[in-house]
Amino acid sequence: MGIIVGALLAAALGYLIDDQVQAHDQFDRAQTSLGVTRHQTSTVSAQLATLRRDLGLLTAQVGSDTTALNQDASQLQGALGALAAAQAHVSQQSSQIASLSTCLGGVERALNALSVGKKGRAIAALQSVSAACSSAASSSG
Amino acid sequence: MAARSRARNEEAALAAANAHLATLRHDVALTRYANAVTTAKREALQASIATTLGRLATTNATLSNTTAHAVLQGANISTLETCLGGVQNALGQIAAGDNDQAAKDISAVSGPCTQLDGGSSAGLVYPFDFPDPAVILVGQTYYAYATNSVAGNIQIIQSTDRTHWTLVGSALPGLPAWARSHYTWAPAVAMIGGNFVLYYAANVADSGKECISVATATRPQGPFVDRSTAPLECQPALGGSIDPASFIDPNGGLYLLWKSGGPGSSKIWSEQLNETGTAFAPGATPTVLLTPGRPWEAGTVEAPDLVAAGGRYLLFFSGNNWEGANYAVGVATCSGPLGTCTDSSTSPILSSGPGVAGPGGESVFADPSGAYWIAFHGWVPGAVGFPNSRDLYVLPLTVSGPTPVVGAAG
Repeated sequence: MGIIVGALLAAALGYLIDDQVQAHDQFDRAQTSLGVTRHQTSTVSAQLATLRRDLGLLTAQVGSDTTALNQDASQLQGALGALAAAQAHVSQQSSQIASLSTCLGGVERALNALSVGKKGRAIAALQSVSAACSSAASSSG
Repeated sequence: MAARSRARNEEAALAAANAHLATLRHDVALTRYANAVTTAKREALQASIATTLGRLATTNATLSNTTAHAVLQGANISTLETCLGGVQNALGQIAAGDNDQAAKDISAVSGPCTQLDGGSSAGLVYPFDFPDPAVILVGQTYYAYATNSVAGNIQIIQSTDRTHWTLVGSALPGLPAWARSHYTWAPAVAMIGGNFVLYYAANVADSGKECISVATATRPQGPFVDRSTAPLECQPALGGSIDPASFIDPNGGLYLLWKSGGPGSSKIWSEQLNETGTAFAPGATPTVLLTPGRPWEAGTVEAPDLVAAGGRYLLFFSGNNWEGANYAVGVATCSGPLGTCTDSSTSPILSSGPGVAGPGGESVFADPSGAYWIAFHGWVPGAVGFPNSRDLYVLPLTVSGPTPVVGAAG
């Protein structure tokens, strides 16, 4: 009987000791894993912070770029408008120059013809440029 | 039991930490994606900005060029209006009979009108009709005479620098009774014995032929008076005589050169004058110096001008059709004022080029330093043929080489 009780006690003790050992092992593993996880968490947190800071910067840059693009586009529109106006002015000037040159040529030919007594040719020279002279006069305002 | 409880607590903490880590990793992934999207957006924006700035730069450059062009054209318009205004004023004065005021009006716009005809790069110095010029230097002043046109029977202008010319008016206000107006051509003036002698072609009223007459004045600007009762030289059988040019031989003697005939029959002549230059020397007879012989002349040689330079006699002349762009200036070498002359060149020394068409009617003269210049008329390219203007050009002339060179200093 004593032997049986002793064996039972020894078995119970062995079980308790083994359970304790397992619980310690379980604790140790969990603690180790927790350490690893906390380290990873720390690293990922830092990563996330960097990424968020970068995103903030990028977002701010996109904002300023958008503003700059709008300003540039506005300037471009203004320049295109000014260019169109300048080109129209040049075109009008070219037309006026052509009219003036034609008119002057006719007046000069008429003068030359008149000076040698060729009135018919003088009149013809003037008539040939009358439209150009009228156009030049109206352009000159 | 306590150990198991601690282990369970630790595992619960681990699970919570893992869940937190998973959340963080999810956030990292989301943030990375957001960064990538934002970066792409920014790159697209920057590309747009670069494109926009490029277009803006191009547009601004074009605008700048266009504005500069507009300014230049504005100046051209102003120049044109000034020139045209002067010509119109002159026309009005001529109609009112005030030729002096007309001359002033034309002179006042000579600069702007010169600009319009291409400036002076081709030698243009007087942008009005001034055909067959003859230039002399008296003191420090150059006088140029020309065929009749707006300024009168024989036009005269003056300059002190050969570049800026002022209209004086008409050197020959009246014509002899035998001549009719509107046909007084190709003058030449020589200073002989303190007087100025003008040779010119005039149209004989009876025959309609052009013949050569002579007038005199005490001043280079005239007025020249022609007291003749008949032409000095006329070759009606040859079609008439025109283009007189005087020549004072440094070896002694005074000569008149001229041209007879028309296309296909033209000749250049020379004959000695008397001491006053108003008549031919007793016993003198005309001698032919030159006839057409080169393809470029197309059967016509005219407008002679004899120059003694470098121990040689150089006979400058014009060839081809005066009213076309092929008109040009050639040169022959003569052994004396009465020949013989040899045209050894196969091509003209002066022909159409940038800024001038059909140059001819030349006159060679020296400046006070002894350097030679050639004055000639030319059409503005694109306006060739009467009644367009033959404007006055002046360019340097080099006579030291085997063949004279126009446009080279010296």
